[in-house]
Amino acid sequence: MRNTFDTELQDLSLEMISMASTAEQAIGLVTRALAGRDPEGAREAIQLTRGMEEQERTIENHCLRLLLQQQPVARDLRTISTALKMVTDLQRIGGQAANIAELAILLARQETQASLADIRLMAQKAGAMVKRAIFSYANRDVSAAKGVIALDDEVDGLFEKVKDELVELILSNHAAADQAIDLIIIAKYLERIADHSVNIAQWAIFSVTGEL
Amino acid sequence: MTDPILRTRGLSLWYGTHQALKSVSLDMPEHQVTALIGPSGCGKSTFLKTLDRMNELVPNVRVEGEALYRGRSIFDPQVDVTWLRRQVGMVFQKPNPFPMSIYDNIAYGPRTHGVRNREKLDAIVEGALTGAAIWDEVKDRLKKSALSLSGGQQQRICIARALAVRPDVLLMDEATSALDPISTSKIEDLITELKRDYTIVIVTHNMQQATRISDRCAFFLQGELVEHGETTKLFSMPEDKRTEDYITGRFG
Repeated sequence: MRNTFDTELQDLSLEMISMASTAEQAIGLVTRALAGRDPEGAREAIQLTRGMEEQERTIENHCLRLLLQQQPVARDLRTISTALKMVTDLQRIGGQAANIAELAILLARQETQASLADIRLMAQKAGAMVKRAIFSYANRDVSAAKGVIALDDEVDGLFEKVKDELVELILSNHAAADQAIDLIIIAKYLERIADHSVNIAQWAIFSVTGEL
Repeated sequence: MTDPILRTRGLSLWYGTHQALKSVSLDMPEHQVTALIGPSGCGKSTFLKTLDRMNELVPNVRVEGEALYRGRSIFDPQVDVTWLRRQVGMVFQKPNPFPMSIYDNIAYGPRTHGVRNREKLDAIVEGALTGAAIWDEVKDRLKKSALSLSGGQQQRICIARALAVRPDVLLMDEATSALDPISTSKIEDLITELKRDYTIVIVTHNMQQATRISDRCAFFLQGELVEHGETTKLFSMPEDKRTEDYITGRFG
């Protein structure tokens, strides 16, 4: 019985990693689409995030089935209940990536007036945070999870920087205001993705230590 | 936490040369359910039976250390075993009603303790059967044999029989393991009710039952008390790896 259960827990970990990889991939795709003014890439990213909804349901069903069949306690209970919490954060991350993609489709029709370097950097960091957070859960690695939480300050710093730059742009070039506001919203979504990764990392720590 | 009504200090027990309990120190607080868990042969039933000195019936048994009931040593030569067992009642794994009527099963204890008055006995029988949540089911057939009842009803008769002598503590040794889920759930509800008036110590192999009905839990392994504490804590964040491995089914 325990062997079956252990195999099931491993499968659950793999499902979580797979969903996090999809999220990371969607974030990467959407950032490239934004920079390359490529609406097709953005639509592809939206497709990916739709797949995440299916992954979310699979993981939830898996968790509920394990709760029912195994009536887990202690570490097992924490592993499964944290998966249930994390999957919601992963789903939100997918939603935010899709929102960015929608804006990227609009922005692709316009001449780019602002530098996207810092937004791309934010996206890179946020995507890495998602994946590292899930790996810290799968590997029960508290220090890796703490590393993810520390990265959040960098993303927050970048968000402030991007915002300041875009405010500058609006002041100097009123015609670019619309685009600047869209880009601020995109930066905010990325900042939220980083926040969800912090949640995941905190749950990963809880699943090891039991402390909230 | 309320004061412990039962308390052991360094309690060890040997069956011949085999040591079944190794210096067990455990407090069982008043009006709480304490669950004893652990694999077969870990000493939890032995520990339970020591609390009302039932182990003395086993040949070659030797006890060391202290067991206190309301601060008084139960091994004190001054202590009358009949008095002790009246304070500390026991319900066993297999329902064991006496082969007599339902009424006589419940009245047996009070009669032994000298109650003869019919009205008084009637009141005790009704009170005990009500306390054991079976009065409504048997009130019209008190003269019928207790053996004609179902397993779950028989077990509640045994609980009523234990309650009839107005004990202070109820010990239950796997009292639901021979029952179907509905009878089990009735007895679990009953235990939760009874703890308002009694202090309860149960032995159970059913982990979910321990999490459902006990306030405190003690994990035994090879005669040793490995870990004890609040049940929710023990089942969510056990301190000892052996506890974690046992409750998650890695051995046992």
